[in-house]
Amino acid sequence: MRFLRFKRVILYILLIFFVIVTLLPLWAGIMTAFKTEADLIYTTPLQPPLSPTMEPLETTFLIMQRPLLNSLIFTLIATILSCFLGSIAGYTLTKIKFKGSNTVFLGLIIGIFIPYQAVLVPLVMTMVSWGLYNTVWGLILTHTAYGIPICTLLFRSFYVGIPDSLINAAKTDGAGTWIIYRRIILPLSLLPFVVASVFQFTSIWNDFLFGLVLSRGEEAMPASVALANLKGGFVAMWNLQMAGTLWYTLPALIVYLILGKYLIKGFMTGAVKG
Amino acid sequence: MASVKIKNLTKRYDKTIAVENVNLEIKDGELFILLGPSGCGKTTTLLCIAGLIKPEEGEVWFGDDMVTCAEHNEFERPQERNVAMVFQDYAIYPHMTVFKNIAFPLEIRKKHKHEIEKRVEEVAERLGISELLDRKPKQLSGGQRQRVALARAIVREPNAFLMDEPLSNLDAKLRVYARAELKRLHKRLGVTIVYVTHDQLEAMSIGDRIAILNNGFLEQVDTPENIYNSPKNIFVAGFIGSPPMNMLDGTLIEKDGKLFVDLGFTTYDLSNRFDKLKKLKSREVILGIRPEYITISKEKIKNSIKAKVDIIELMGRELSIHYRVNENTLIAITKPTEDLEIGDELYLVFDDERIHVFDKNTEENLITKNS
Repeated sequence: MRFLRFKRVILYILLIFFVIVTLLPLWAGIMTAFKTEADLIYTTPLQPPLSPTMEPLETTFLIMQRPLLNSLIFTLIATILSCFLGSIAGYTLTKIKFKGSNTVFLGLIIGIFIPYQAVLVPLVMTMVSWGLYNTVWGLILTHTAYGIPICTLLFRSFYVGIPDSLINAAKTDGAGTWIIYRRIILPLSLLPFVVASVFQFTSIWNDFLFGLVLSRGEEAMPASVALANLKGGFVAMWNLQMAGTLWYTLPALIVYLILGKYLIKGFMTGAVKG
Repeated sequence: MASVKIKNLTKRYDKTIAVENVNLEIKDGELFILLGPSGCGKTTTLLCIAGLIKPEEGEVWFGDDMVTCAEHNEFERPQERNVAMVFQDYAIYPHMTVFKNIAFPLEIRKKHKHEIEKRVEEVAERLGISELLDRKPKQLSGGQRQRVALARAIVREPNAFLMDEPLSNLDAKLRVYARAELKRLHKRLGVTIVYVTHDQLEAMSIGDRIAILNNGFLEQVDTPENIYNSPKNIFVAGFIGSPPMNMLDGTLIEKDGKLFVDLGFTTYDLSNRFDKLKKLKSREVILGIRPEYITISKEKIKNSIKAKVDIIELMGRELSIHYRVNENTLIAITKPTEDLEIGDELYLVFDDERIHVFDKNTEENLITKNS
């Protein structure tokens, strides 16, 4: 008994230690974001600011508001588009038997493994020739296209679990392919939609490479690129960088807070169904 | 309602044949059973009727409408066929209430809202699920789900009802009840039902006619009585009836102008009932007799077979007794009043009128064929 309790205590001490280690950068980031330039010199990153100020947050907001808006627009639209397209593709691949469906699926899987870097040059050239370079639409198109394979895979594995008899019943009831999707498949897909949209939102929001090569000026610059630009040329303005990071993290954090409950449920259903 | 006709239906999956050259004529208003062991092609046949799969060869007709013709590549989609189907797992839409489930086929057909409400309530009333209309499928028991599936099928007026083992997920007691219910419903509605099952008891008890399928081939189509009393071949004889028909290997022989079956350990006198078989003498045959047509005798009488009691099974109303006869086991059904013990030796007497003789090679019933 005593030995067991001792083990418990050790375990908790270890766990608390790891929690602290994990949270330390966040703590340092938040503290630094409220520091003046003088405080940056007088305090270590872990110490709270001597004279807290909102200035870094205000300055960075002015710099980052347009990029943040850009990011928000293309992330939201690309997330919604890739989720719906993935859902439709997943439904087609599992519930409509057509010749070559396995080949199509194989193609999508291969698409997941093509590294971003490999397509950068042709991507930029294509976007330039389509007149989409340095526009939000170019980013929407790129992120949607890149999101389709993984979304399809996710929805497909969920739809495999929906019995075919349900589709057959709807067919004999008189429902066509599109009505079956809208009235049977879509209402049953809340969980994969949550999982896929959280996944897509975070990966598109966090993307740096596509944003960097497809944007040049303010009009289309994503927040991730704007954040990197805060680094400065000669002096590292840590307070500005950390304040920018806080702004940058906020939307993803909100998405997690709202959808996190469903997300865990989504992962659980996947786990139980195997 | 309409009759359903199937001509030369063949369906293959890659190289395996699911259904081979099946011909069926299902009459208008008939409760028609497709019966067979698993993998015999009965569900495939049903799905071909529904239009959910496309056959490689053959035609399907609803009344005078040709809905499938493989030769001319004509194929009406299931949505256009107006058949209602009840699935083994009921296939109730899990996110809709019972009301919405039943109303679904009507909503697809864009019926007026008031008409939908009226008809759903009517059907629910008829099936005794009126108080469940607001519930979700998750909150229903197996029997209730089965009724919802049935209600969704009868809410519209389809050409035919197609049922794929609709009772097999119910527990035994409920199944007997649901069986009678279904039979009553069929009588009242007078609809054409094509019903797939692997349960021969279910088939015998509700079917107007039964088609027996085996390995994709149609073995026999007839009324339950005829299938039971004059099975066309060994497969049908063995598949229908529980306990199954007893079968003994033998050879037809003629002795003093009379016909016998030489069973090896004894000869069985066919009493000249089957004169036509005489020309088949010395052919290898199988002698078949159903368990209920075997009586027992303490003394040896003419044409009786010596047997030893091996196992006694109490079946409730009757005893099912396994006898050792030479190297074979015969099962007979006896009243529990008989005082028998394991190891008893006695004589079995077959009812001459109920004997079947099958050709061992072709497996055909020689009696129904020749007399």
